[in-house]
Amino acid sequence: MDMKTDKKKLGLKEKYKLLTRDLGWETTYHTADEVFPYVKYEGIKVHDWGKWEDPFRLTMDAYWKYQAEKERKYYAIIDAHAQNNGHLHITDARYLSALKLFVQAISPGEYAAGKGFARLGREFPGVGPRVACQMQAIDEIRHAQTQIHAMSNYNKFYNGFHAFADARDRMWYCSLPRSFFDDALSAGPFEFMIAIGFSFEYVLTNLLFVPFMSGAAYNGDMATVTFGFSAQSDEARHMTLGLECIKFMLEQDPDNLPIVQRWIDKWFWRGFRILGVVGTMMDYMLPKRVMSWREAFEIYGAGNGGALFNDLARYGVRLPLEWNDAVKALDHMTHQLNLGLYQWSFGTAFHTGIPSDEDMAWLSKKYPDTFDKYYRPRWEHIKKLKEAGTPFVNTGLAKLCQVCQIPTPYTEPDDPTALCLRESEYKGELYHFCSDGCQRIFHDEPEKYIQAVLPMPQLFQPPLGGDIGAWMNWVGLKNGVDNGDYDGSEDQKNFAAWRATATSNQ
Amino acid sequence: MTYQLTIEPLGQTVAVEAGQTLLDAALRAGVYLPHACCHGLCATCKVQVVEGDIEHGKASSFALMDFEREEGKCLACCARAESDVVIEAEIEEDPDSENLPVSDFAGVVTAIETLTPTIKAVRITLDAAGMRFQAGQYINLELPEGIGSRAFSIASPPAASPEIELNVRIVPGGQGTTYIHEQMRVGEKIRLTGPYGRFFVKKSARTPVLFMAGGSGLSSPRSMILDLLDEGFALPITLVYGQRHRGELYDHEQFVELAARHANFTYLPALSDEPPESDWTGFRGFVHEAAKAHFNNDFRGWKAYLCGPPQMVDAAITALMQGRLFERDIYTEKFISAADAQQVRSPLFRSL
Repeated sequence: MDMKTDKKKLGLKEKYKLLTRDLGWETTYHTADEVFPYVKYEGIKVHDWGKWEDPFRLTMDAYWKYQAEKERKYYAIIDAHAQNNGHLHITDARYLSALKLFVQAISPGEYAAGKGFARLGREFPGVGPRVACQMQAIDEIRHAQTQIHAMSNYNKFYNGFHAFADARDRMWYCSLPRSFFDDALSAGPFEFMIAIGFSFEYVLTNLLFVPFMSGAAYNGDMATVTFGFSAQSDEARHMTLGLECIKFMLEQDPDNLPIVQRWIDKWFWRGFRILGVVGTMMDYMLPKRVMSWREAFEIYGAGNGGALFNDLARYGVRLPLEWNDAVKALDHMTHQLNLGLYQWSFGTAFHTGIPSDEDMAWLSKKYPDTFDKYYRPRWEHIKKLKEAGTPFVNTGLAKLCQVCQIPTPYTEPDDPTALCLRESEYKGELYHFCSDGCQRIFHDEPEKYIQAVLPMPQLFQPPLGGDIGAWMNWVGLKNGVDNGDYDGSEDQKNFAAWRATATSNQ
Repeated sequence: MTYQLTIEPLGQTVAVEAGQTLLDAALRAGVYLPHACCHGLCATCKVQVVEGDIEHGKASSFALMDFEREEGKCLACCARAESDVVIEAEIEEDPDSENLPVSDFAGVVTAIETLTPTIKAVRITLDAAGMRFQAGQYINLELPEGIGSRAFSIASPPAASPEIELNVRIVPGGQGTTYIHEQMRVGEKIRLTGPYGRFFVKKSARTPVLFMAGGSGLSSPRSMILDLLDEGFALPITLVYGQRHRGELYDHEQFVELAARHANFTYLPALSDEPPESDWTGFRGFVHEAAKAHFNNDFRGWKAYLCGPPQMVDAAITALMQGRLFERDIYTEKFISAADAQQVRSPLFRSL
């Protein structure tokens, strides 16, 4: 006997309702506070989770279908890249320093974001945000994986890629982004949303991904461009989730405003510190450059970020406290950080180098007010030292900022000739900071930051006891191979030799 | 070449030029489609093509998958029409929209009245039964001498049909408004199309209604208020109406009289530049300041409809939000120009 079936296909809206909002229920065995124990202690007041407006209506079944096809496309291109010796099509192996820095410092952050969103997918009482956070958790893990897979093709041929996971935990320059994510992961669920959903996805993503992927495209790196496209197709969803969460907090209760403002202040500055690495990559590591860090900030930071803050002003949110310090740093930050990377390059798992005359001409043009005045003379001096056979190496350790963990390379906002150092005593211990912003962040939550793990002091503690060779083993760095000047490196020689083989009959 | 773009589930049809993106055509016609990156990467603007042919443009193969292309999906920010097109977008059906079709109408100018030195009221009686429209909507008036058509909100209520009233402020150097002010005569034959727009009262929400109007933005609120009072709307209605000085405060007497007659209607005129020595006893200041003072900075539970110059609307939105009324309860009448569409906007708000 034929069964009567209802063949009516569900509309998008009904389907979304059934597969998302309808998945929630009122708790009866335990109180809602017991089931969602972390949602109140930050002080955010929520009166009605039903007011959460899902910024996108994506059901889990559709999500799997989309992501599966993205993966198929992505791996087809990665395979083609490998089979076609894609690594020989890049402009120059010098470019790979940018990729090494990315896989060591940024990709592990994607993975950390995945862990954080998995937690939020459990901790938010609202069904809409929980489903969205679960999707984002999977996205972030996918991004970390696809980035690592894209880099693995280069790892077969070039140095410095192999120990990215150890570098993430132990390398001094990786502790900058790692501390950002550790800070976010050890915060409450709403603060995590501001840290990642707002600061990382909105303020930073444009400045991070767009220049990075354009850099890859300009330098012939199809593998990286492809993971960029694949990841960017998720980013709009991530960004809208972060912004929806801010709106939701601000609209639910007026008491939430000062809390949200404090987080915006904090996470803007923490995010800006990470951008130092990205900006340095843009200005110094790309053989073929897209735009200067300053230009990128003008478009994506001041333009898009400014438009957002204009809109947020309607809720009473003001610009982050350190916005002006950030603007003052634009013409100095990348030059100062790159000088730091060069002088400590015995301890970097990527190559640095002295800018060529052509590079310096470009830098003067892009930074007319600062490069020739403050930074060209230093590079000329460093160049002379190298030519004399006494290259400049700094084996001393800089003070580490207790908050962002950078080795304090930056100058005072209003004086580019004076190193910016701050210190505070807390419970009998002295703590150092790179800026007013980081010092302020410390004093908001000192008990949190005194527990921070700073990897560099490990060098002087047992079992390393100040032995640089032992430290290099510990961080997975092969001396004379992974580190130092690009000029004369194995990567440089191999790339030249393989490219010659590929383009001639030798 | 111009095609018709019909947007479901609204059922609204807008014109789309060859070469123009579907998103651009929709936004310019006041139909909001979700969008973000505007260059084919983020897929926020993905819509279903139900009928007709489109060209995908620069849609990324990661943002619009092959299987989706086969299913007839497209990214509105990149897609261009190659025939008349029907799309289905993920937008809420509006229970208060009557989805009235746009038609062409003929009529005759029956009266021209000077409201202020810069604003004239033009009354047009349409042929036959006139036009069905929702209070708050606008029409495109065709003007002679190669001027083309101009959009004007209807200032009269639907019940006044077949007569409609337009209040027209003269724009210095503006061909259309100069023609209306200087050359249009009673008895002149007129052609117009309409009704357009999605600015109307959300009656089904059953909440009190706040209108904030300034400059020549009074037309839609006037039509909406007359319509609500006429049909016996029982919830509170408040009009905050601002001009620079008393001479420009047209229709003042009518609203004073309506407020006296209807207990649920409150009228709050505000003058921002009235000479201090005048006998004006009402509020002195801007519309948003008058509203903030009257509501004691608490707008919760209302729905607000804003009409007027961009600076007034902007200040009103901020005042409302700081008084805890948010996007979902704020409605503005929008005419998006090419320049607006190119402005850097944050994705924080969808419809403001």
